[in-house]
Amino acid sequence: MNDTSHEVAQGSHHLGGVAPTALSAHNIVKRFPGVLANDNVDFDVRAGEVHTLLGENGAGKSTLAAILCGLYQPDSGYLLRNGKPMHLSSPRAGLQHGIAMVHQHFRLVDRFTVSENVILGSRDLGFRLNRKEINEQVAAVAESFGLPIDPNAVVGELSVGQRQRVEIVKALYQGAEILLLDEPTAVLVPAEVEKLFDNVHSMTKAGKSIVFISHKLGEVVEISDRVTVLRNGRVTGHVSGKGTTDTRELARLMVGRDIELNAQRATHPIGHEVLQIRNLSLSINEVEVLSDVSFNIHAGEMVGIAGVAGNGQRELADTIAGLISPASGSITISGAMTTDRGPIQAREVGLAYVPEDRLGMGLVPSMSILDNLLLTRDRKVIVDRTSIRPEASRLIDQFEIKANGPDHLARKLSGGNAQKVLLARELSGGRSATKLLVVCSPTRGLDVGAIETVRSLLNDARSAGQAILLISEDLDEVMSLADRILVLYRGAVVHETPGATASLSTVGAAMAGLLENGGV
Amino acid sequence: MRLPIRVVFDQRGEAPKRLTALVPIVSVLAALFFGAIFLLATGYSPIDTYTNMFSDGFASSRGVTDTLALSTVLICTGIAAAFAFQMNIYNIGGEGQLYLGMIGGAWAGITLGDHLPSLIMVPLVLIFGALAGALWIFVPAFVRSRLGTSEIVSTLLLTYVASSLIDYVIYTPDSFFRNPNTSFPQGRLVSASAKLQSFGDTRLYPTIFVAIILAVVLYWVVKRTEFGYRINVIADSPKAAHYAGINAKRTTMSVMLISGALAGLGGAMLIVGPYGKIEPSIVNLGYGYAGIVIAALARNNLAAIVVSGILFAGLRVGGEKLQISTDTPIHIGVMLQGAILLFALGGEAFRRYKIRVVLVRAVTT
Ligand SMILES: Nc1ncnc2c1ncn2[C@@H]1O[C@H](COP(=O)(O)OP(=O)(O)OP(=O)(O)O)[C@@H](O)[C@H]1O
Ligand SMILES: [Mg+2]
Repeated sequence: MNDTSHEVAQGSHHLGGVAPTALSAHNIVKRFPGVLANDNVDFDVRAGEVHTLLGENGAGKSTLAAILCGLYQPDSGYLLRNGKPMHLSSPRAGLQHGIAMVHQHFRLVDRFTVSENVILGSRDLGFRLNRKEINEQVAAVAESFGLPIDPNAVVGELSVGQRQRVEIVKALYQGAEILLLDEPTAVLVPAEVEKLFDNVHSMTKAGKSIVFISHKLGEVVEISDRVTVLRNGRVTGHVSGKGTTDTRELARLMVGRDIELNAQRATHPIGHEVLQIRNLSLSINEVEVLSDVSFNIHAGEMVGIAGVAGNGQRELADTIAGLISPASGSITISGAMTTDRGPIQAREVGLAYVPEDRLGMGLVPSMSILDNLLLTRDRKVIVDRTSIRPEASRLIDQFEIKANGPDHLARKLSGGNAQKVLLARELSGGRSATKLLVVCSPTRGLDVGAIETVRSLLNDARSAGQAILLISEDLDEVMSLADRILVLYRGAVVHETPGATASLSTVGAAMAGLLENGGV
Repeated sequence: MRLPIRVVFDQRGEAPKRLTALVPIVSVLAALFFGAIFLLATGYSPIDTYTNMFSDGFASSRGVTDTLALSTVLICTGIAAAFAFQMNIYNIGGEGQLYLGMIGGAWAGITLGDHLPSLIMVPLVLIFGALAGALWIFVPAFVRSRLGTSEIVSTLLLTYVASSLIDYVIYTPDSFFRNPNTSFPQGRLVSASAKLQSFGDTRLYPTIFVAIILAVVLYWVVKRTEFGYRINVIADSPKAAHYAGINAKRTTMSVMLISGALAGLGGAMLIVGPYGKIEPSIVNLGYGYAGIVIAALARNNLAAIVVSGILFAGLRVGGEKLQISTDTPIHIGVMLQGAILLFALGGEAFRRYKIRVVLVRAVTT
């Protein structure tokens, strides 16, 4: 993995010297109502290098990237491209200067094919599309960077990792020399991350520059030539040179204190059975997504579901939450049968659910934080916003949500802060006291400080006697938190092991389907 | 060959607030400008025409009351359209629902007889009109909420049916709704107690207050109630609605029925107000379609429809007076209506995109 991109950056283009600066930003200031998102930021990226932006949730990383690609205009400050001043009035202007961004939330049209999406927004196509020619071009661009993809596939049917690839191919097709990747790995499984990093290497080798944003410190150390740390909109640190730093140091630079990520599995008594699942099976479009799943969770117990994305985890969570009716089997939450009874019934007997898809499913983007807190609560006929306002303010403080207050719109929150709002709502109980908490990828997109907070909140909830189902693609997270681990493979539980004695290799093998008949 | 000019749409990161308020104003001005070109081209003075229109529509006392009178029904069809539009449901059949409102209202006004006092009779006529409007959208609402069938097509098609129905009930010789005392086909008058008194010698009826209050109340419903909360969730994210256990089918159904009822109410207001009977010429007036424009102009803000409805009524009243008093081309008012819609929708593009025209060097292909 750690191949020669660093060397290339210095070597192949400009023998002996440092590669020239491809893009630089100077004294960038960007203010949103109530927040200074970028406060006099200087940033630059050289040809052929990976320069990482690191910082807490709401530090201003996405904002800076949006300015670099022309989506936002800075209030003051200026940009230089190859040393020459430029003004970017729009993303299209950015593209004309060879700058493209792959956003935290994808911007593809689901119903279109890959190549339709890729050429979408390209100029100079004329009126008639030569489909065959375009398909060939798209495939050629994709191939040359090791991003094989079927140009005729419909985007809506692709996996998240493949969709991201489409975004990257689109940027390359449009002639991008500088790619801004905003938390690209947050949505990928480890194998896909590796693939992405290979692509990054082949792009830097071709002299392209990458601005990378991630909260996963291990990755940052692995891929970056340089790192710039942002905090509250200001640059607070630089690290340069591959391998000259470690995750611990980066964490300290980011949050200004030491972080202990390996939350201890607290010892606590395990109580009565809260969730009981019996022989759950589910098919969607005649494809079996859950097959004969049975398990239970007790009060004060955390069960972790490990598995490669797309092996039925999301459907399992949705079914427990009453959003999908199973083909057969039963779900009982604290003694009440909730199979087929819908989400409200499930919540009334004590369910709380943090879904994987936050903006759009867990949160309503155009609504305020306050209204989003009301989404899963009992709202009365005339919505009572006054009495929940103090609680909203309290949760904003408690979860350190960077927002102007309860009326801040969800879509104007940074990615990590949106996740915090969702967690705040679900962890704080709704229609009834929470007895069963189903959480999917709870720490995805959160900064290390916030991850620490969330994990300790989960631990507190467990100590308080809640039953927790933790579904996460982050195997480390499941291994370090869960009392019991189940591995889902093709919709079936193929392995079960106590968390304390789980072995990484066995769980990994089960996830890959090598243990199909073992376990349980 | 390609033109050496390109129009470039640059998406804005964020729509400026200023523009949001500016778009409706600019679209009206642009429509007037467009109309001016048309007037000039046909040899009329736009300044004189517009001055006359303005004084007829807004500046004379007769003009003001006529404008308010017309705005009564337009506010109804405007909120009918906007109430559905805000949830991304395109009920464009307000026109037909309005006709049904007239029929339903007239039926109640004729059948329920003279022995009931006005205080009961008038509300009954309005309620029956609203019910008839809701009935007319029932099938589109049902198939849309259950099967997702496009309401655009179904509501529009039913408007043609409704228009034939108006003809049928008036032109059929023994029709219940036809005035039996005249040989000329006319609507039968409702009983006296089903009619309201107009203010003084104006054509303005107290129903204007009902329309305005309704707009304000519905605005409040959307902002403050559980029902409105659901509408907002579904409008923005059906997935979130599903997650929260909000019944999208039922809400869609309710919103569409209410939308139809509001348009129907507008029709019934014509019965208790100026007409007192079914007026077959209603099919040429396009009050229901105007509601779509009014909603677009108010950007589906229910309270703002009071303003856009009155503005729009003024333009039409001014335009109609013009036809009578001068020889200006007829239908200038209707033409402006169309132009305003186009510019309001186009203005939406300005709000979301920066639009530039750029020169490109000729490319040989
Ligand atoms: N469109 C907007 N309107 C108002 N405030 C905004 C907007 N976009 C971002 N902000 C605010 O600016 C600050 C920086 O946001 P930004 O999205 O740049 O953070 P980030 O570093 O990318 O965080 P994360 O890691 O959570 O994605 C946050 O406080 C956020 O609430
Ligand atoms: Mg971000």
